[in-house]
Amino acid sequence: MLTFVLRRGVGLLVSTFLVTTITFVLMQMIPGDPAAVMLGANATPEQIEILRESWGLNQPILVQFVRYLGNFLRGNFGDSLFHRKPVLGIIGQRAETSIWLGAAALLVVVGLGIPAGVLASIRPNGLTDNAMLLVALGGASIPSFWLGLMLMTLFAGRLGWLPSSGFTSILETGNLANLKSLVLPAFSLGFVNAALVARTTRSSMLDVLQADYITTARAKGLRGRVVIMKHAFRNASIPIVTVISFTFASLVSGAVVTETVFALPGVGSLIVQSVLKRDYPVIQGIMFIVAVLYVVINFATDLSYALLDPRIRYR
Amino acid sequence: MSKRVERMRTEASGRPGRIRSLMSGLWRFATRRRTTGLALLILGGLLFIAATGPFIAPYDADELRMTDRLQGPNRTHLLGTDHFGRDILSRALSGTRITLLLGVSISAFALCVGLPIGMLAGFFDRFGLIVMRVVDALMAFPAIILALALMAILGKPGIANVILAVGLVWAPRMVRVVYSATLTLRESVFVEAARALGVKTSRILLRHIAINLISPVIVQATFTFAFSIMEVAALNFLGVGIPPYVASWGGMMNEGRTYVIRAPWIILFPGLFLATAVLSFNLVGDALRDRLDPKLRRIM
Repeated sequence: MLTFVLRRGVGLLVSTFLVTTITFVLMQMIPGDPAAVMLGANATPEQIEILRESWGLNQPILVQFVRYLGNFLRGNFGDSLFHRKPVLGIIGQRAETSIWLGAAALLVVVGLGIPAGVLASIRPNGLTDNAMLLVALGGASIPSFWLGLMLMTLFAGRLGWLPSSGFTSILETGNLANLKSLVLPAFSLGFVNAALVARTTRSSMLDVLQADYITTARAKGLRGRVVIMKHAFRNASIPIVTVISFTFASLVSGAVVTETVFALPGVGSLIVQSVLKRDYPVIQGIMFIVAVLYVVINFATDLSYALLDPRIRYR
Repeated sequence: MSKRVERMRTEASGRPGRIRSLMSGLWRFATRRRTTGLALLILGGLLFIAATGPFIAPYDADELRMTDRLQGPNRTHLLGTDHFGRDILSRALSGTRITLLLGVSISAFALCVGLPIGMLAGFFDRFGLIVMRVVDALMAFPAIILALALMAILGKPGIANVILAVGLVWAPRMVRVVYSATLTLRESVFVEAARALGVKTSRILLRHIAINLISPVIVQATFTFAFSIMEVAALNFLGVGIPPYVASWGGMMNEGRTYVIRAPWIILFPGLFLATAVLSFNLVGDALRDRLDPKLRRIM
């Protein structure tokens, strides 16, 4: 197990390095001089030169890169051009909303997707199965922002059951009722992925249910529920875990638009605002953090395989 | 010389037969599953709309009629009007062309970048090792985040920049598919035979590998199309895609956001157009994958 973890750990480091490099390269592609961009149109050449000097922009690109790596490792992403505050602090302020939203959406993904998939696999081609196939196909083709806006029209506009937009911090106010504002965003964000998880659960369960040990378990006279949950589900869980870990990227992508739709003060809406204002340091910081999270989640997924299926450790 | 002429003759005479067999193959493909036929029909319809949009639209897509603003669907405006009194149906029809155009361009871009790189990476181990690491790292950035960053870097909103930004997001995914397919092809008997016969590497790549990559590449291009038009709509919705004065589905939904509770049709209908287009491309992609190469299910 230790060698397995170590080997994956090296992969993790390599990927993080590459992700950092890509972020650096992309930011080098910005047209014009970053110092001039930072100081705006009214800056004098002297001011620009001073800033270039202090940022080390006059040094060779490799020196800049090493410096940049060092800064990133220490969590120093520079200052926002617009807010004139450290990027990490700005992202930190926005993180709470996004974490709540992500957790709630994941709950929708797992809570809807897995039961639906298991149900569909018990009676393949039955009513539940076909209905789910339809929803999954449709779900994969619907943009989440559109679903969000439609849900908002219905539940916030017509019925007035839920708030249509905004979110107030729970950590600051201690008011858990604020979570109500996240119901619609979490559903519109999670629904599409729930459909995907349901499809994977179904096909993985169908594969496993044909195995001999399932027949044996049934022949032993075990109850149907025990066979499904204990014998089939655990063995079917690897593809399901994989697809749930994939949903991270899709949840992040979805969160960018969902947060904008519901005017949530999260990291997703922050990157959109930063793109509109060309606030490059913030864009760079968010890109880096999201990509590193992705790499770490992949790593954790790999480790979970080893826990779910002991055979994988020895490969 | 005479042999060549003879071959040309047989080829020429074989052509009508080949077209006929192609057509009957297409017919069988379309009718094997009801959904595939339906999806192809919808795609045909969209192509027709893209070609004839301005001519069949009841109104000028950009004409402002403030007296007609925010009307719900009715007889004069079948899908209603927006806050400037522009006809939603006409705008949605006009947005079809730009959507298909962007989808085709982005898929073509992803293909032109992904096919050669993926093929070389699959064929030459060392090159592959480096390239695939970079591809994996690029894929660590969620699609919309990378597209947004690229739009910020490229500067102004515009059609060419959207193609480049979204194309660069999907190219690594194309590389991945081509790479895995090449790895399998490389070990196949016919490549081994060609090698044993002393065929040059460049010829093996072009005549033996590239030809056999056509199926997976077509299938992946179909999916790229579906995903990319959704992503373009998201960029337009966020206001960083193509300029707002060009009627696009995502742009229409962006403009309608403020009025969503009062006039949901501004958003409902462009979204339905988009969902229908994406769904039919996904269905055709699925059907193509099953028809051309069932083994692809594993890598796609």
